[in-house]
Amino acid sequence: MKRLIFSVVVAAAIVAAGTPAFAQQSGQLRIEFQGPGGHSSGAYGRVSALHAAARAVILIQKALPAGSFQITNLTGGNSVNSIASDGLIELKLTAANAAAYKELVTAVTKAAAEGAAAENAFRNVKPGDLTSGAPATVRSIVTPF
Amino acid sequence: MNSSRKKTARLTAATILLTTIVVGASQQPAPPPPAGTPATIPAPVVAAAEKIANDPQVLALLKEQSTEAAAKARWNQFLELVRIPSPSRQEHLKAAEIHRRLVNEWGFSPAEVMTRADGMIAGTDTNLVDNLPVYNACVVIKGSYAGRSDAQHYRGEFPKVLVEGHIDVVNPEELPKSGDPSIRIKLQPYAQPVVATPEELAAILDELSFDAKGRVIENDKYAMASKIFANAKDAEAGGGVRIYVPGYGDMMPSTSNAFVLAAAMKKHNIKPVYDIWICGTAGEEGKGNLAGMKQLYGFDQKAGTGSNPLNFVANFGLEGGGVVNFLGSYRFEMKFKAPSPRVDGPSAPAAMAAAIAMIADVKTPSELRQGAPRTTYTVGRASCEPPPAANMGVPSCALEVDMRSTRKETLDEIRNTIEPMFQAGVSAENARHGRKDGSDEAISLELMWYGLRPAFVAESVDNVAVHAGLQSGIQLGAINAAIVGTGSGSLNDNVPANTGVPTYQFSLASSAAGAGGHAFWEWGTRGAPATEVARMHRVLTAALIVSGFHAADGTVVQPSIGPIGKRTREVVR
Repeated sequence: MKRLIFSVVVAAAIVAAGTPAFAQQSGQLRIEFQGPGGHSSGAYGRVSALHAAARAVILIQKALPAGSFQITNLTGGNSVNSIASDGLIELKLTAANAAAYKELVTAVTKAAAEGAAAENAFRNVKPGDLTSGAPATVRSIVTPF
Repeated sequence: MNSSRKKTARLTAATILLTTIVVGASQQPAPPPPAGTPATIPAPVVAAAEKIANDPQVLALLKEQSTEAAAKARWNQFLELVRIPSPSRQEHLKAAEIHRRLVNEWGFSPAEVMTRADGMIAGTDTNLVDNLPVYNACVVIKGSYAGRSDAQHYRGEFPKVLVEGHIDVVNPEELPKSGDPSIRIKLQPYAQPVVATPEELAAILDELSFDAKGRVIENDKYAMASKIFANAKDAEAGGGVRIYVPGYGDMMPSTSNAFVLAAAMKKHNIKPVYDIWICGTAGEEGKGNLAGMKQLYGFDQKAGTGSNPLNFVANFGLEGGGVVNFLGSYRFEMKFKAPSPRVDGPSAPAAMAAAIAMIADVKTPSELRQGAPRTTYTVGRASCEPPPAANMGVPSCALEVDMRSTRKETLDEIRNTIEPMFQAGVSAENARHGRKDGSDEAISLELMWYGLRPAFVAESVDNVAVHAGLQSGIQLGAINAAIVGTGSGSLNDNVPANTGVPTYQFSLASSAAGAGGHAFWEWGTRGAPATEVARMHRVLTAALIVSGFHAADGTVVQPSIGPIGKRTREVVR
């Protein structure tokens, strides 16, 4: 229901954008994921920042209305035989106005956190856990650029 | 290692366990031997181990290496080599420095350096792997065999024993495009937590310094990093530091010491019967595809056969493990292409994300079934082309996947689960936009690269490399039984094992502690130099058992294997 309401709000905002009173707003976000990484076999079982990023992309697709976002980059990891310690999504957002844009950013931030949480849950790690002394979880941070 | 820290950790743990067993043996009843498969060591190998391990020339070499000056020289050499970036298939900077030192500092003539700056080795039939040059760095300790009137050879190549460790490292991923490529070696007290991000690592102020010639500057930071500890607990209590540098665990300390051993063998006139090649090998990590070993063993990935063109009769790896079974792996690089990358059409990054998200939920056979062979996977790397214009989408993205298992059946099982997910991601994204697969503007899939690390399950543990590896350990008290563990490794040894050449592994490293292998936070703390010397003793003894040895008393320990190495196809050159 929340998603439906959100979509209606965004759709209404986009329609309203045709009027001069509401200036369309667009921007770009970077969603960075950071995890412990490690050897693909030797450290198997650790969370992957890249897996988390991919999970977040799927959640973004589900959370945001079509046409309101464009994924412009998805990258991460340092070698085929390593669990990715980093993941990055770059995306463009377009909204009818500042308020709707803010809603989109909030939804993206939530999806990013849920993507990380899903990866942590899949590998059964929780905040505060350590692996060889380093933080065991994957974490996300969203910043405009 | 392609498995580095974990393998090193396993080896260290095993060594500690075995050392504990040996030390305790004088006070308590002998413990049961470790679990595994017993090997039957031939009497001549037992005699050779005793003779070589106690030879005056060998002992003189070890005595010199036991001095404080030698320990410091080894440490400095490691620090100076490990800071040279060496991404897989871009190892030329590190190989060049090893080549330079071999001739200018380590006592070898140019003719004894068997590898060239352009990646060529005379005599092999495989100088390009995956269409790229191979930057191995090899030197020969010449044996006497070629001078014998009855010497046999394989197409002009006399027998050789290979001792090798890899010189490539997972990080950095690529060589920098410009500027000083050297890696900063950061130091962090144990009292502080392990860094959580690359930014935290970069923010550490304490680091080692090097002069214009790449020599470590022996300042207060050097003193801090050079403290020796037995283990992490001692380091924490005694003011030790984590030394952050890629390659600390995987596996430059061991490879660097291989060249120390080579130089010492040359200096002390250690004379084998067969030639011994000591190599820093390329392409063990990442997409390296075991390129260094494929060059040395003439291994054809598609055919799965090795010509062994240089006629190696035995192989000794220096990444630790002591295993005879080798993990197999399948590796894929898949490209997700958007023929006309419209902003509102199917998206290459979204298709790739769909595939990765599906893969991320996979449970392996060993996670699903108790007792199933250990099986692992990861999407190790992903990247996308930037949109060509502001109003266009991403033209393509690519991902790289690694899958491994100890047995082909479970390796195929995980492959059969994951491989269809590449296309499933494409189809999901096309369907999301109402496009049929294969239609205009639909995302398509392309196989960019396929990597195979062939699995190997030994039918027998009885071969010359295992015998020499075990008996050298027994002779020197490192192990107490001729038992081969049941574990598997994923190592350079996959190539000789699949070519039919016997192989065994140990290590020349001695870290007190470490972690973070293959990650940005890879670190180690300096361990006991005496451990390195003890390990040199074992490696030297094992290599000479197989190669044969001219002892100081004038007698000759004959090679433990015949002069023609095994191969699974004939050389083409």
